[in-house]
Amino acid sequence: MNEKELLQHYKTSGDLSTLGKLYSPYMSLLYGVCFKYLQDPDRSQDAVMQIFEELIQKLRQYEVDNFKSWLHVYSKNYCLMQLRKDKRTMQVDIEDNLFESEQKLNDTSEAKWEERDFEKLEGCMQTLNREQQECVRLFYLEQKCYKDIADLTGYDLNKVKSAIQNGKRNLKICMERKENGK
Amino acid sequence: MENNYQLSRIHNYIHGLMSKEEMFQLEREALDDPFLQDAIDGYRLQNGVDARQLSLLQQRLNRRVEDTIATRHAQYFTWQRLAIGATAGVLFVTLLALLYFNHFNGKAERTTDVELSEPENRISVEPLLDGGDATPREGWKTFEQYLNKQLMASVRGGEIIVNFTIDKNGVPANIHAEGQPESSLFDEAVRLLQTGPKWQGTKGRLKIVFPVKDEKNQAQANVIKPPHCFGIAKK
Repeated sequence: MNEKELLQHYKTSGDLSTLGKLYSPYMSLLYGVCFKYLQDPDRSQDAVMQIFEELIQKLRQYEVDNFKSWLHVYSKNYCLMQLRKDKRTMQVDIEDNLFESEQKLNDTSEAKWEERDFEKLEGCMQTLNREQQECVRLFYLEQKCYKDIADLTGYDLNKVKSAIQNGKRNLKICMERKENGK
Repeated sequence: MENNYQLSRIHNYIHGLMSKEEMFQLEREALDDPFLQDAIDGYRLQNGVDARQLSLLQQRLNRRVEDTIATRHAQYFTWQRLAIGATAGVLFVTLLALLYFNHFNGKAERTTDVELSEPENRISVEPLLDGGDATPREGWKTFEQYLNKQLMASVRGGEIIVNFTIDKNGVPANIHAEGQPESSLFDEAVRLLQTGPKWQGTKGRLKIVFPVKDEKNQAQANVIKPPHCFGIAKK
């Protein structure tokens, strides 16, 4: 059974071993996600198990289309809720989160590119700030990894990452605006 | 499988064990896959992947799933036991009920005897309308109750038909019997009529049946109620 079939099977049967099969492949990624927010190994493990417990109900109630991204968002929310319960504030990079919530739109952007699209892209590149432009070029055109870019530019690794993420997002917005504008 | 593959990539990535091309490739994927990106961020914070930890986690999940299956089995067996228990309980109650009703039935017979014997053990009157228009002023029922209250125990059973007229005070007069009844019966009938409730109408004709006590009681003892009545027949 593939993931969709497993999901459907679980929804109708409520068979826990099916849910286990569905969940298990994501556990190590989930652990990473939980650790990112909770920053504690034990809590993160518990969170992974607790999320599983919640899925037992939720997956029977909701129609889940894309399990992977649904699970990601669900887990992230779960962790953020945990933090809120702690009354601990946590700095969540708004840029990061914007980037992620727009991620869903990405799937449709595999359209054919024509000559003028490249011109448009070049135009849009000019609108990015210097850091973003630099990092995006190095990453997408020269296919350099973050570390190389950091070395080349002297920026911090995290700065490179967010410059690329934000640059990518801005480019996308710019391209769509031009698309609609003309 | 894909899971482990990703995990080892993350591990290699964080520990700088990847070529630049591989790093680029993973970074590129992560840009399109926020889940992956978050996981990489998390493992980087943790300074690497701890395989032992993850296998423990996997074990926890397996145990969780198995537990539920085991619980379900346990519940299944519990249900089975419950079913057996319930059946035994029902059988037991049925048996008790049977015993109880069997026992009760004996009692019921006696109770019913009284009931059945009532009309026989009591004196009854039957107005013979062809002979007159007289009715007791307070109704037949009251009259019959009066008769039963006043009947002398010594009187033997038997039937008697009496004719009488009613005087202006509503008291039966000119009472005479038909045929040749026993004189004790006739005397008793006269006594009952003359000291009893007032009548209306002009003349009456009654058949009075006096209970035959000893013989009838014996006959009634032989009456057997159908067992299914369980004494419920008592009204």
